[in-house]
Amino acid sequence: MSANIREILIGFGKGKQTDIATANLVANVWQLKKLNAALANPKLNTESDAEEFGKGHEFATQVFKTSWDITGMIEKYLSSDIAAWAMAFGLGKVVKSGASPNFTYTCTPLNPTADGIELPYFSFIEQIRPGGSAIIDRMAVGCAVEAWTIMVGSGPGRANSKINIEFVSSGKLTEPSGITLPAATVEKLLPSASLTLTINGVDYVTSKNIVSLEFGWKNNIRLDAGFFPGSGFQTTGDASSGAIRGRLECGDRQASLKFVARFASGSTELTSLRNQTTGTAVIGLQYDANNKLTVTFYKVSFSSAEVGDTDGLVTVAVECQPQYDATNGVLSAVAQCNTDGICQ
Amino acid sequence: MPDKVWMRPPGGGEPKEVEAAPEILVPLMVQGFSQCEPPEEVKDDVREHS
Repeated sequence: MSANIREILIGFGKGKQTDIATANLVANVWQLKKLNAALANPKLNTESDAEEFGKGHEFATQVFKTSWDITGMIEKYLSSDIAAWAMAFGLGKVVKSGASPNFTYTCTPLNPTADGIELPYFSFIEQIRPGGSAIIDRMAVGCAVEAWTIMVGSGPGRANSKINIEFVSSGKLTEPSGITLPAATVEKLLPSASLTLTINGVDYVTSKNIVSLEFGWKNNIRLDAGFFPGSGFQTTGDASSGAIRGRLECGDRQASLKFVARFASGSTELTSLRNQTTGTAVIGLQYDANNKLTVTFYKVSFSSAEVGDTDGLVTVAVECQPQYDATNGVLSAVAQCNTDGICQ
Repeated sequence: MPDKVWMRPPGGGEPKEVEAAPEILVPLMVQGFSQCEPPEEVKDDVREHS
């Protein structure tokens, strides 16, 4: 019987795996809803003997399993729970404090000298009608967040505050997953209307000038470096089953921040661009006192500021250049939610 | 009472207890401090010596 793609269930490690090859236990997995239909399809890379001499022709007579890739994208309405998860797994370093119902996760990028460059791992589960006649039931083990992007727009609907999370995997696949997903977590949304925003000394919400905002983080994970002598196989001990990655390390990381604001007499964006003024950017979103996200870029300048229009009103589109602050680094995220154990 | 956490310096060393406020935690995290369990309490030996 055919299935509706909307039957897809996703679950992933709320806590981190003990190592890249050891899947999350079911007790450490949560189920959340998502917006996109795309699946995290495993891709088998193969090679053949076509170029080998001694066959008498240039055609393949054998195909070999080389390696496995699994990548995915989770698109969601922004909630305090997924924000905490994305910040912790995406930036890589987290300190948990607080107690129920207010768990606080203070997150920063890894310090490569002290922390190394290996990101925390989680398992990702996809299921359609799991059980005896499952259509899809699989788990990618050893996944890491490649990037997250938060988009805040103008308008009352949930779609005006969203997060996209890209992830990559070691390639290790467990099928069937063996996981019975818990009920979906009831998330606390962080709507656009709750935004607080100060950039370079300008409070864009008080002035009622902000139109849209987008900020993110990208790890540029060194995928090729995940394969090293001894990195392992899809089936342990079976050298013909295809290699999997034994590590996922961040490359040259990138922070991004851009926004569109109404442009009026006295607006400072063009002057700030000309003078390369630096300052902080502090972004806040909130559901209630226990469910919040505050992201701070400690030093930003403007790399471009272009005057245009939005719906017939004069606006300025600004791209910021996040810089490294000697004391606080590039950025931090403080995520508060009701959920315990994120990235622990 | 402010929430507190234990942080261990990079490379090992004596953990210290700090207030769990971003303005305190973030500079430590950037320096390489990581959250750790509280150190075990050292109890005085109170047995009587004969």
